Amino acid sequence: MENKLLTIKNNALSLIFDAKEKKELEEIKLQFLGRSGELTTALKGLAKLTADEKPKIGKVANEVKNIIEDAIRQKESELKNTKPVLQKIDVTEPGIKPEIGHLHPMSITLFEMVDIFKKIGFQAADGPDIETDHYNFEILNMHKNHPARDTQQSLYLDTRNSKTNPGEILLRTHGSNMQGRIMEKAKPPIRAIYPGKAFRYEQVDASHGFEFWQLEGLAVGTDITMTNLFGTMSYIVKEFFGQETKVKFVCHNFPFVEPGAEAYMSCTVCKGKGCSFCKHSGWVEILGCGMIHPNVLKSVGYDPEKVSGFAWGMGLSRMVTLRYQMDDLRLLTNPDLRILEQF
Amino acid sequence: MLAPLSWIKDYVNIKSDIKSLIERLGEVGLGTESIEKTKDGDTILDLEITPNRPDCLSILGIAREVAAIGNTKIKYPSLKTDLKPQKSAKILPLKIHTNFDINPRLTGIIINNVTVKDSPEWLKEKLEKLGQKPINNIVDITNFVMYELGNPIHSFDYHKITGHEMWIKQSLGGEKFESVDGISYHLPKGAIILEDQEKIFDLIGIKGGKNSGTYKDTKCVFITVEVDDPVLIRKASQALSLRSDASAIFERNVNRGGTIDALKRTVDLILENAGGEIASELYDLKKENFEPWKLSLRLDRLNKLLGIEILEKKVLEILTSLNLSPKLQNGKVECTIPTYRNDLKLEEDLIEEVARIYGYSNFPQNLPEGEIPINTIPYFKNYKIDEKVKNLLISSGFSEIYTYSLVSENDLLDAGINSEQNLRVDTPVSREFEYLRPDLKINLRKALIQNRMISPKINLFELGKIYSGKNLDEAVERYNLAGITNSKNFFEVKGILERIYKNLGIEDNPMNSIELIDEGVYFEIDYSYVLEKLKPVKSFISVPKFPPIVEDMAILAPSNVSTGGIIKTIKKQSSLISEISLLDKYEETRTFHVVYQSRERNLKNEEIGEIREKILKALKKEHGARLKE
Repeated sequence: MENKLLTIKNNALSLIFDAKEKKELEEIKLQFLGRSGELTTALKGLAKLTADEKPKIGKVANEVKNIIEDAIRQKESELKNTKPVLQKIDVTEPGIKPEIGHLHPMSITLFEMVDIFKKIGFQAADGPDIETDHYNFEILNMHKNHPARDTQQSLYLDTRNSKTNPGEILLRTHGSNMQGRIMEKAKPPIRAIYPGKAFRYEQVDASHGFEFWQLEGLAVGTDITMTNLFGTMSYIVKEFFGQETKVKFVCHNFPFVEPGAEAYMSCTVCKGKGCSFCKHSGWVEILGCGMIHPNVLKSVGYDPEKVSGFAWGMGLSRMVTLRYQMDDLRLLTNPDLRILEQF
Repeated sequence: MLAPLSWIKDYVNIKSDIKSLIERLGEVGLGTESIEKTKDGDTILDLEITPNRPDCLSILGIAREVAAIGNTKIKYPSLKTDLKPQKSAKILPLKIHTNFDINPRLTGIIINNVTVKDSPEWLKEKLEKLGQKPINNIVDITNFVMYELGNPIHSFDYHKITGHEMWIKQSLGGEKFESVDGISYHLPKGAIILEDQEKIFDLIGIKGGKNSGTYKDTKCVFITVEVDDPVLIRKASQALSLRSDASAIFERNVNRGGTIDALKRTVDLILENAGGEIASELYDLKKENFEPWKLSLRLDRLNKLLGIEILEKKVLEILTSLNLSPKLQNGKVECTIPTYRNDLKLEEDLIEEVARIYGYSNFPQNLPEGEIPINTIPYFKNYKIDEKVKNLLISSGFSEIYTYSLVSENDLLDAGINSEQNLRVDTPVSREFEYLRPDLKINLRKALIQNRMISPKINLFELGKIYSGKNLDEAVERYNLAGITNSKNFFEVKGILERIYKNLGIEDNPMNSIELIDEGVYFEIDYSYVLEKLKPVKSFISVPKFPPIVEDMAILAPSNVSTGGIIKTIKKQSSLISEISLLDKYEETRTFHVVYQSRERNLKNEEIGEIREKILKALKKEHGARLKE
């Protein structure tokens, strides 16, 4: 009997020792200590023993029971403290990706730009695509006979069945239509950006579109200077493309600014060394800007002697293609999932 | 504008190397588009000339810029003739009728007994470097002087002007005209033309006529240098799709004070290379004298607008280098603007002159100082809302697309939309992009179809403008948010929209914005309306302190009864019902999960029993439904 009990103890202990998980331990518990477990059954046999055997074997039986119970308890806490062993799965298999979609690179860029400008006090605004000749041209110092106003360069809307005269309403050719609209309704100081679509009569190719996205803006106040213009544009470009980016300004003419400028930045592909992307110049053109023309300030009721301002227009589409080194603007309006899923 | 360095060097010394010259020219506004090296070691720059600088559509104009940046002097070509006939010369008659509104100035002279022949080599070479084909000495000289000085010049065969009388007028439209290169045109209305007693013989400012050109047999020429109305020239040149180097200069405003010098230079070269003699007095019909004008610049204003202090001495040096003859008095510089600088009209124009020659790269850069505007600006748009909505759609598996606002008539037809009642572009780039989209569905459907071969599961969305209205008077543009899916069902889409609405605090039901289409499920919601209705800030409702009572009710209802209807009926039976959802649906049985909740007390089983009775009664009455036993 004593031997039997010791065999039970040994068997139990070795099984407990080898147990790898809680479930296995539960089974062992049942196997030995359960209602019809090995030890329970053996203990039932105690009744058949003689009176002098009883105390001795009984003591052994109790010890065996305690030892098994202790061992199980100990193993239980051991198992609780060890992480499950990942030996049955192949961790090198690819993970299961959640089925989430992709934000368009234009939105990624736009939201980032809005945040960058917000940091230096520029608020975002939004205005109409269908615009009057007045806000698109007239108020911006582009008078009736300005070459940019030719039908050949702008998309004028069909006026049939309406009271509008032909040539009065068009799809805005730039986001600058918001310049007049905002300044007319607000008092300086103003710092605003106005992202949006622009439309032009252009044949489509890799770097031109008849519809494209722009991000224009302005700052007006009593002490806005040309060095502020350069500083702000450099800040934006470096925040967006990285601090190592170089920015340079050259003189340029736009009817609604004077002095006018164009900004170039070091090519994102070759870092300024010269490659086919930047036509081997190391520089890419990124935006047009300047000090708001006194005629524009006057036309919105400001006194150019008292307030000054700067304004700029950058191609949002172009920011996107430059950042991601995409060689064709048309990729942005192509809904091909193989493009979208890269972002 | 093509500019051979060798030619520029005729007028100015270039001190720097080509690379830094190009860099500096770019900085002052003459960007180089390309560089060509020729066999004879010359370098030809192709410069981009902005529309405000017609003076730089000439080699001398470019040389003046080179001189300004190098702060060196320019060597003008010397002019010999005094434009008077020699005493012995025979004076030929010519009567000119002009109209100063369309032709503010006509300067001209007759040269008789010329010998038309090939040009000398130097002249041919100069023109060939600009990509021009030499024709004969007279024509080549007029072209050369235009490229040199920037005033277009024309030479007519004097004997072909019938009656030796001519009129400058505007075309009526429809007249025939054959250009010097043998192409026939029907003239548009309003072009400026030259007519004699019989015929139109010149399309002024754009192209000469075949019937009055200078050829081998020409013996006597009438040379003109004109100033014509820029707008009329541009309109005619556009209407005919006929552009020339001359029309480009006229369109941008020619140097109105430069006609005499250009004529002198031309006559000098003709007398030298084709012989002959001056056979008329100088014609100089002009609306006014076209003299240089005064323009002043305040130094304090210059520094305030630029944000840097440029020394007085430097300002004067720059203005002098640009031939603007500055005179300083009491902090104010008075300049005399040469007639070739039509772009200098305002003080700000002079500020730009100083700034660009000073060099934008020499400017410090700083952010605006002073008050940060805190008032919400007009037309303010909160992009955070867009970002939130887009992120919700993306986390629901939709990918974003951006598409064109312009669609084709076929697109509208396919969508069953009457193009006659849709906004249209009068001057479309192509038939493909002629109408403003009335919805986002057209492009989303196309996008889904395009992706079918690429991916089995397609979920796309766009947030963009739509343009409605039968005609321009009714035109309205709004933002819509639309999506298309071939892998999610109606309820999944509905759930996504419900989630978006809930996040934005909008109470509407998105159900009516969703439709089943051949390609799958489509939704389009009026996003502008969403922006008007949204409540971005939610108020917190405390967690109830008392336990709810929950029960599931299996309801047997006829299949034509909507689940929404049942839910509505149940809900209105008691204010204690805080939540109802459809748990299961099997044949005619719909199991609803009903939560009863009071915020004030513990609910008793008896009161719930009463509500249940009320519910069952109402369901029976309103929908013929009953509890499943």
